[in-house]
Amino acid sequence: MTRAIVIGLGNPILGDDGVGWRVAEEVKKQIAISDQPLAIEVDCFSLGGLSLMERLIGYDRAIIVDAVSTGRQIGAVSVASLDDLPNFSSTHTTAAHDTSLQTALGVGRKTGAHLPRTVTVVGVEAERVYDFGEQLTPAVEAAVPQAAQRVIDLLRRKE
Amino acid sequence: MQRITIDPITRLEGHGKIEIFLNEEGDVANTYFQIPELRGFERFCVGRPVEEMPLLTNRICGVCPEAHHMAAAKAADAVYHVDPPPTAKKLRELLYSAFYVTDHTTHFYALGGPDFVMGPDAPVAERNILGVIHKVGLEIGGKVIQCRKYGHTVVEMIGGRKVHPCTSIPGGLTKGITEEQRLEIEKMGRWAIEFAQFSLKVFGDIVLGNKAYVDLILGDIYTHRTYSMGLVDADNRVNFYDGKVSVVDPEGKRMGTYAPNEYTDWIAEHVEPWTYLKFPYLKKIGWKGFVDGKDSGVYMATPLSRLNASDGMATPLAQAEYEKFYSTLGGKPVHQRLATHWARLIELLYAAERWVELATDPEITSPNFHTVPTEKPTEGVGIVEAPRGTLTHHYTTDERGVLTKVNLIVGTTNNYAPISMSIKKAAESFIRKGVVVSEGALNRVEMAFRAYDPCFGCATHSLPGQMPLQITIRDAEGKEVEVLRQYC
Repeated sequence: MTRAIVIGLGNPILGDDGVGWRVAEEVKKQIAISDQPLAIEVDCFSLGGLSLMERLIGYDRAIIVDAVSTGRQIGAVSVASLDDLPNFSSTHTTAAHDTSLQTALGVGRKTGAHLPRTVTVVGVEAERVYDFGEQLTPAVEAAVPQAAQRVIDLLRRKE
Repeated sequence: MQRITIDPITRLEGHGKIEIFLNEEGDVANTYFQIPELRGFERFCVGRPVEEMPLLTNRICGVCPEAHHMAAAKAADAVYHVDPPPTAKKLRELLYSAFYVTDHTTHFYALGGPDFVMGPDAPVAERNILGVIHKVGLEIGGKVIQCRKYGHTVVEMIGGRKVHPCTSIPGGLTKGITEEQRLEIEKMGRWAIEFAQFSLKVFGDIVLGNKAYVDLILGDIYTHRTYSMGLVDADNRVNFYDGKVSVVDPEGKRMGTYAPNEYTDWIAEHVEPWTYLKFPYLKKIGWKGFVDGKDSGVYMATPLSRLNASDGMATPLAQAEYEKFYSTLGGKPVHQRLATHWARLIELLYAAERWVELATDPEITSPNFHTVPTEKPTEGVGIVEAPRGTLTHHYTTDERGVLTKVNLIVGTTNNYAPISMSIKKAAESFIRKGVVVSEGALNRVEMAFRAYDPCFGCATHSLPGQMPLQITIRDAEGKEVEVLRQYC
């Protein structure tokens, strides 16, 4: 049986950077009340790079929900394969003091770790990720149910 | 004036941006290292109970949550005027030693090491941990992952969860460890000592065995004669968790030591118009600008400065490496900033040895891990050595323990002035007329600050979060002459 994990990524006290956590919690809630149960794990996480790779060990499939800053409309939800995102050597899915998630996955696979074949990133366009606060901006808050639904749709779709 | 921008810096969190201004002759006129700061943390904390701080502050940063957790716990102890029992202090230090092993390992193999293992002129796509594995061998990758796993396991056993510990409260900890856990922690610590020795051997073979690298380390480009700072125990030996802060001058003479609650007598902050981040300096010496020397209040707080500011290491294997370090580099203090990478590995060995020392301490499994606070809370300061510099938390509360004022001086901030000076000096050496601005040369500018292991932004994970490295060169009128990109 395929083992899947959904990870809400971000810092819960850094404004819109906390949206990943909020979406993950919503996914958990929706799955719990659904009449079509899904056997998946849902977790919230604050680290990128090697730590995030280590969290993905043991799973066949992973969906990461995160705030994104791509210049699109605030609150816009996007889906991309990690393989299609640029592999930069700094910031964000990169941990501050190690490496990018893509490179970390390469390290894990080389050293024999069981890691997901596919990593999908569900992004929510963020407005404020440099100011501390527990609130999301309204447009980002409004996008949480939609982003959660995209995650559930992805999970129900066979790879 | 020409202008070169390195934006952003590879392998560094937080959107750091270096601007290098050239004069008419094409020489470096000035450099500016700008850091967009995360805003409002100190304000965000006001109005919350002080005992929440060990949980809240470890969310400031995705790199060293354990350091913030410890500094916050110690500051909260001080606010409540409570002295935790020896077992609590030892358990906290044990957790912290395991964290140090993890953090220093990760820095050496993933961040600082690739410059040496792969070489400063290697293509940027290869200057990472995968490149290191490719060159040194697959075994090394497995060891790094194993080391991190052990470190995280100890943090979870004592701290209640991985990475973001939650068990420190005013007066000690909410839980202790069992004998079974202690045995496992000891076993992992013994493995960590071997791994640290292996890492020092890798450094010796690859870096010290290569004359070009030794010349690079010992050269003038990466040398600054500033004051050094570091936490020391009662015997003036390096300690990460507790003690007084020692300050030595550029000749290595100890200027003095200060207790956490005396920090405002020693440290002041200078403001520059081009950056929001302040520049801490030694108050007793004064701010004289971005200059070296005994008359300048600029100091560094790094693994290198911790060794300089101490009289030695408190564990035998690390002490032997400490002695070798100074005899190889021509005595104490050492001012060559690239030697920080070596100092970091000596600290790695010390942390692993300390891990085992504490895991075999007869008191470590005692159930006496908390002292109930009975005094009225007021004000307190907690200081630990974060891997990247002395970390100070200062809290003031009302009589209920609700925060009314918070001041933090984080590890990297201490080094903002010396980092800026190192960048300028490196730029002057590699960017001048007749010298082509190549990726390798610019990486050497980056190496100047990478040695400090700086961390400015914290735990933001928005995607994709990164623009390609872009270098813009402008002529005297500000017109764009050439644009170089690394990732396009």
